[in-house]
Amino acid sequence: MRLFVKVALATGLALGASQASAQQAVKVGALYPFSGGLALLGDESFRGLEIAVEERNAAGGLNGKKIELVRGDAVDPNQAVGEARRLTSVEKVSAIFGTYSSSLAIAATQVAQLAGVPYFELGAISDPITERGLKYVFRTNPTSKDFANRMVDSVVEAVAPALNLDPKTLKIGIIHEDSLYGQTVSAFQQTRAKEKGLNLVETLPYSAKSVDLTPVILRLKSAGVDVVLQTSYQNDTVLFFRQMKDQGFKPKAVIGAGGGYSTRDTAQAVGNENIEGALNVDFPQYRTNPQAAPGIDEFVKKYQAKYGIAPRSGHSLTNYMGANVFLDAMAASKDLKADTIRESLLKVDVPLGKTATGWGVKFDEKGQNTRVSPFLMQWQGGELVTVFPPEAAVAKLKTGVGSN
Amino acid sequence: MDVLVQLILNGILLGSMYAIISVGLTLIFGIVRVVNFAHGEFLMVGMYAVYLLGTHLGLNPYVSIVPVVILLFVLGALVQRFIIQPLLGADEHIQIFATVGLSTALVNLALLVFGADLYSLTVPSARQAISVGGNTMLVGQIVMFICAVVLVAGLHFFMQTTALGRAIRATAQNRNAALLMGVRVDRVYVFTFGLGAACVGLASALLIPLYPVTPTIGTYFVLTAFVVVVLGGMRSIYGAFAGAMIIGIVDSLSGYYIAPDLKEVVYFAIFILILIFKPTGLFGFGRGTE
Repeated sequence: MRLFVKVALATGLALGASQASAQQAVKVGALYPFSGGLALLGDESFRGLEIAVEERNAAGGLNGKKIELVRGDAVDPNQAVGEARRLTSVEKVSAIFGTYSSSLAIAATQVAQLAGVPYFELGAISDPITERGLKYVFRTNPTSKDFANRMVDSVVEAVAPALNLDPKTLKIGIIHEDSLYGQTVSAFQQTRAKEKGLNLVETLPYSAKSVDLTPVILRLKSAGVDVVLQTSYQNDTVLFFRQMKDQGFKPKAVIGAGGGYSTRDTAQAVGNENIEGALNVDFPQYRTNPQAAPGIDEFVKKYQAKYGIAPRSGHSLTNYMGANVFLDAMAASKDLKADTIRESLLKVDVPLGKTATGWGVKFDEKGQNTRVSPFLMQWQGGELVTVFPPEAAVAKLKTGVGSN
Repeated sequence: MDVLVQLILNGILLGSMYAIISVGLTLIFGIVRVVNFAHGEFLMVGMYAVYLLGTHLGLNPYVSIVPVVILLFVLGALVQRFIIQPLLGADEHIQIFATVGLSTALVNLALLVFGADLYSLTVPSARQAISVGGNTMLVGQIVMFICAVVLVAGLHFFMQTTALGRAIRATAQNRNAALLMGVRVDRVYVFTFGLGAACVGLASALLIPLYPVTPTIGTYFVLTAFVVVVLGGMRSIYGAFAGAMIIGIVDSLSGYYIAPDLKEVVYFAIFILILIFKPTGLFGFGRGTE
């Protein structure tokens, strides 16, 4: 009997203790690919969230409660579902932040929606994530449609003026790898090019595993294409630039859709002198005018202090910016219920140029941020610098590609 | 017209790349009778080896051919001796699973060691473009073509004139008869597997100047190599060479005249047609030798 009382007391105490700590902390999930092939940029994305949370905790947390990050490792869509279930049912998190990769986000958001837990997407660009009418799914970053539109609009607003030419006289060629990513972006590009009345002369899909892109390049060359819009991964980007040089194809401009165009590896494999002048549409990188992106320099300093290296890509910055938006909204909703968070998110109204990425914030009914667009960047002297829009630019757009 | 000549030239150069990889696969497939799904990963291992030799010891990839061919020969021989040989009596599905497993293990090992980043070795001499009548070719591609021809001729000479070559041919024709004639069939297998892998070693040194290396680079080439091997008649190195040239030229022409994303459709259609009319492949030995 005595023993029983002791055990009961101990259990009671333990329960009480855990309840007390639960009251002091708000658990939020961080669902990213931390291992496997996507791990590098998954982890880079997570660092932005981690810095935002630490900042918030240092400033007193969410209405006096500490925020506790619970990691979920999503290597593939199956595991994303499993980890989202664990976070919502076992860990009982108040919200999930993620995800970097679109296929992971599409799988995990459904689980969170069923559990009635808000899901905050900070990095995946596939349009359907916020188009399926999931009530508690919100996204701060631009979608693939925004990427495609920015690429086509750049031809009209940035490339043609720099060349002193009427955009309608330029021959446009779209090339893209033929998986979901390339298909989606190029379909939006074709629609936009038609809207803008541009002269689209070639649309060429190819397999990202091609070992020879010479036929694609010869097609572009025979059609006399002036501006190439490419949606690609790393290997095919490298192959395209190398073979473009081999075949002596000299377009007036080449614009990439992030992906293979954004990494330093690509530039090194192609050679800085060959990628010089290549344009790229992507999330804001660090060479952005701080006046259009207040807080960007402070973020880089904090990142350096915490991880001891410069940020490896712009992913951490976009995740940091988005995490702050959602943490603000959570702070504004006292009970942390999904419906109140949704209400306060729909009220958020930040004008353009007032966040660390230079974006504004205004969510539509579907949960997509409408005040965002990726920036136009250019490889200059081995670095990717922002050249458009003018308020975010740190350098002037140069014409020509490579040493041609 | 200019474009046509350029496309055919390009196809031949592409074909010689497939030829070197496929000749190795033919040896393993046709003689050891193992469907080696790890063939592409051998290529990947070879390319990383060439890359490391190039960055750490400053070796030109064409000099690295010697150590890498030896390395891959040893790797192939070890795989045959310690993975395939214990399974020779087992069902052939088991052997296939063993090579699939090996392939997955090698890809993930590379991911662990090198990460998913791509590495490339700059070899300006191999990337120099030569212009012949307005058509461009890279030095590296021409070297590849010469190597493919020399490799096929060398293997022909080896198979026809040496005792070991005769033993290999005997084993390929009838394993049991060869065994009865005193051929050490297990050793022939180990040697042949090593030889097949060594061809990939040659290919990896020739590919490095043209393609960056990633853990999954093998999958870019190996499916086409299987098509080439079957097209060529499974066991014939000349067949593999001819098959590679056909695939290379078809790949190049259909990519331009039809559509870049439909070129696989075209060459698989040709592949199916050839199999319908000549089920043993272009240089097959007739029915029953599959």
